[in-house]
Amino acid sequence: MSEYRGLRRAHILANHILRSPSPSSNLSLTPEVCLQYSPPELNERYGFDVKEMRKLLDGHNLEDRDWFYGLMMQSNLFNRKERGGKGFVSPDYNQTMEQQRHISMKRILYLLENGVFQGWLTETGPEAELNKFALYEVCGIYDYSLSAKLGVHFLLWGNAVKFFGTKRHHEKWLKDTEDYLVKGCFAMTELGHGTNVRGIETVTTYDARTEEFVINTPCESAQKYWIGEAANHANHAIVISQLSINGTNQGVHVFIAQIRDQDGNICPNVRIADCGHKIGLNGVDNGRIWFDNLRIPRENLLNSVADVLSDGKYVSSIKDPDQRFGAFLAPLTSGRVTIASSAIYSAKLGLAVAIRYSLSRRAFSVAANGPEVLLLDYPSHQRRLLPLLAKTYAMSLAVNDLKMIYVKRTPESNKAIHVVSSGFKAVLTWHNMRTLQECREAVGGQGLKTENRVGHLKGEYDVQTTFEGDNNVLMQLVSKALFAEYVSCKKRNKPFKGLGLEHMNSPRPVLPTQLTSSTLRCSQFQKNVFCLRERDLLERFTCEIAELQGRGESREFSILLNHQLSEDLSKAFTEKAILQTVLDAEAKLPPGSVKEVLGLVRSMYALISLEEDPSLLRYGHLSRDNVGDVRREVCKLCGELRPHALALVASFGIPDAFLSPIAFNWVKANAWSSL
Amino acid sequence: MAVEMASQSQVLVEEKSSVRILTLNRPKQLNALSFQMISRLLQLFLAFEEDSSVKLVILKGNGRAFCAGGDVAAVVRDIEQGNWRLGANFFSDEYMLNYVMATYSKAQVSILNGIVMGGGAGVSVHGRFRIATENTVFAMPETALGLFPDVGASYFLSRLPGFFGEYVGLTGARLDGAEMLACGLATHFVPSTRLTALEADLCRVGSNDPTFASTILNAYTQHPRLKPQSAYHRLDVIDRCFSRRTVEEIISALEREATQEADGWISATIQALKKASPASLKISLRSIREGRLQGVGQCLIREYRMVCHVMKGEISKDFVEGCRAILVDKDKNPKWEPRRLEDMKDSMVEQYFERVEEEEEWEDLKLPPRNNLPALAIAKL
Repeated sequence: MSEYRGLRRAHILANHILRSPSPSSNLSLTPEVCLQYSPPELNERYGFDVKEMRKLLDGHNLEDRDWFYGLMMQSNLFNRKERGGKGFVSPDYNQTMEQQRHISMKRILYLLENGVFQGWLTETGPEAELNKFALYEVCGIYDYSLSAKLGVHFLLWGNAVKFFGTKRHHEKWLKDTEDYLVKGCFAMTELGHGTNVRGIETVTTYDARTEEFVINTPCESAQKYWIGEAANHANHAIVISQLSINGTNQGVHVFIAQIRDQDGNICPNVRIADCGHKIGLNGVDNGRIWFDNLRIPRENLLNSVADVLSDGKYVSSIKDPDQRFGAFLAPLTSGRVTIASSAIYSAKLGLAVAIRYSLSRRAFSVAANGPEVLLLDYPSHQRRLLPLLAKTYAMSLAVNDLKMIYVKRTPESNKAIHVVSSGFKAVLTWHNMRTLQECREAVGGQGLKTENRVGHLKGEYDVQTTFEGDNNVLMQLVSKALFAEYVSCKKRNKPFKGLGLEHMNSPRPVLPTQLTSSTLRCSQFQKNVFCLRERDLLERFTCEIAELQGRGESREFSILLNHQLSEDLSKAFTEKAILQTVLDAEAKLPPGSVKEVLGLVRSMYALISLEEDPSLLRYGHLSRDNVGDVRREVCKLCGELRPHALALVASFGIPDAFLSPIAFNWVKANAWSSL
Repeated sequence: MAVEMASQSQVLVEEKSSVRILTLNRPKQLNALSFQMISRLLQLFLAFEEDSSVKLVILKGNGRAFCAGGDVAAVVRDIEQGNWRLGANFFSDEYMLNYVMATYSKAQVSILNGIVMGGGAGVSVHGRFRIATENTVFAMPETALGLFPDVGASYFLSRLPGFFGEYVGLTGARLDGAEMLACGLATHFVPSTRLTALEADLCRVGSNDPTFASTILNAYTQHPRLKPQSAYHRLDVIDRCFSRRTVEEIISALEREATQEADGWISATIQALKKASPASLKISLRSIREGRLQGVGQCLIREYRMVCHVMKGEISKDFVEGCRAILVDKDKNPKWEPRRLEDMKDSMVEQYFERVEEEEEWEDLKLPPRNNLPALAIAKL
């Protein structure tokens, strides 16, 4: 066998030598003797209407998205280049940090000129907010720096003015922010305090004599850190600071400070330094800020929740400092929703590239002398990519659902949004990082080239796992909220309502001992397992905490000690919430091929989640045999999803120009004649 | 038999060793494409592709036009007789021909020595080489006719630099040979006096490799100056205005520009948009915007859906009205319905892009499988 292989290899080499023409510039390598690129479209059939599927996935503002894609493709500012006969747009990441920051700002001004941001702060209502979400998502597909810069300006600075401020602030700042006459940043994080916002050390006092606030950075750990747009572009900052009135700390409050004049010079009593080069997002100018008793007018306190009167008297509509703090942080939810949705679009991008490549790249033969096998025809390759594809679908539907709840939010739904967005933000951003790593490996060495995007995106998106709330802390917040809900319902002896816990009011579902293929694919079974897992973990968690509290430990400490259960519980909660949104979306579809394929995707999502979670085995919900059945079914589903792989990534609606050369004719793109 | 004869005489075929020269021969109608001509061209192109002795196809027009478009007057007659499905057959063959040309494995050289409009662009721009001359007049005038730029125009217009495609497609602006070359609609510019010599040289091509034809064409091509008043000098204004999200926003952006400086070109542009069918403008813009993200096949499939809705006339009957005003009565005073842009709602626009439901045996355009999908022809959606 090996001898035969050796012979064959020699034969091929001989052929190459004999056929290779003498090096001459006007002779082209004839494609017949080499590997030829065959576009996946030639061999794959669409088994469902990809337009319909795209409508389901993008969910809203499709025409606006397409317009925005076109706006970027047609402008020279977006670094168009041709590879293998196709045009691509993608930033030049080989530029210096300074150049990347500069061009990012120019791109924003181009979009501004085209009216992209019209109404982003001055219009309200679900439609305006959904349009904004859609454009952020599209932006992130081009470059996350661009999207992050807009996020700082509109979602952090702009929304802070909008939500924490009152009429006088709105009139003064919102329109100017929309027109970029004011460039804002959001100074919350400090060197010593990030996710723990309550611990920040910047202090603001009030001077009744001049009716001014005085902002001060008392020590090095209080320097504002990672402040996007602060290093170069911003001229105004939202400053989050402790407010000290007559020696009493009133807790965290929100102020507006001008940090640069109109010519871009740093204001007196403000010092700014650069955070320097980063592993990604180098188009964003993150900076550090120190305040040296900077004086700002009294009117610059954003006073929707609390105010300081001219004589220095502190007044607030919310007496409880804990609640007051909560009210301050509530608007940050929109940031988490945006992060979760852009994470999913990044995963889509990675999968579209990796799957298209795997439908045109071949490696190794199964039989000696046989043709090399298409990557995605290997069951192992399917197993690497298709479950991630199914998860991406499920999470895409889930984040759409979250967006809808967010834009239609009411005071009653705020708690649910807070908990769900925390869980989704963490799970979806982790999923993106994992997916990108798998995609990068799945395309082999090609994944190392920046122009192929999948590998590079890892650096760009990594920040999502810790900014706007560290993922691990957010997940703890989820299980704490569930714990509180459980305790409160039991104490008041009331049924569960909200957070999707209603299933706890019914008897525990019983799972069948034998799991057949049809059972495993049954939505009721899948729902039952997910509910059972959540219920059991929540009961165990509360039980363990109660026991520790019974032994005299504090509640906080008891929760800390149970971090493993906490982690399992928050994951179970989030995965169940995601499954529920897929089931809801599926139920709304008319019978047909889209619904059928989505059913396969949903089963894959459910079963891969079960396969990856050892807690089901650990707590005895599934037997060893059951787990084996789940595992086998995952492989079967891989085979059934394989024929739909191309259509499933086509349905992401990402234009070719935003993918990368290896997603298309990578032979031509790398040919000598293309140099 | 008579029909067969007509189609034979309407498309002349010459054999010059490995080259085939096709001449559109309906000079009185400015070589407007009849159903027979389209069928004949499709048949010839497919046969030449099969025939390994054919290496190059030249397409030109007899008289002062290359081709003034599809013979829509005939289609409108069918519609008025309650038979839009006949029109659908016409367009389906025409788009099929456009697709075959866009995915052709051999080089097509189109000699655009005269008028090139609508369907005339469709049988040339998709091919490999397009030769403009000092006599070339190009336009996509559909929005003035109550139609929209079809024949794959949503594919090729959307790929012009910046938002020039939106400008050309919405206003029906005329381009000369120099402008066609500058924006990429033409690949070469050759003075008409040299066409005979060029043709003779091209007839010596004996290989499928387009670089041979390219070398010959490069020897003849010139780089004419753009006229001082050329719209191509106004690309900055075009990009600023035609990049806008909606037709209304495009017009108000142009009006803002006009208030800043009085300018004949801007007011003519605004006039053209105000004269065009509001329904046409809106579906055309959407079509170009979608086309920018699609392959040529998907563009043609979408355009076929759109043209069927246009002919069916359930949302607007502007096509019949436009043809009446421009081609039949020639009063140049069409009564559009909806009359104003704001009356053409998004939901109405949306309908043009849906399948034609509840119509017996109506099917989406089925394009033939092609082995030679060029990179650009492949897109998703």
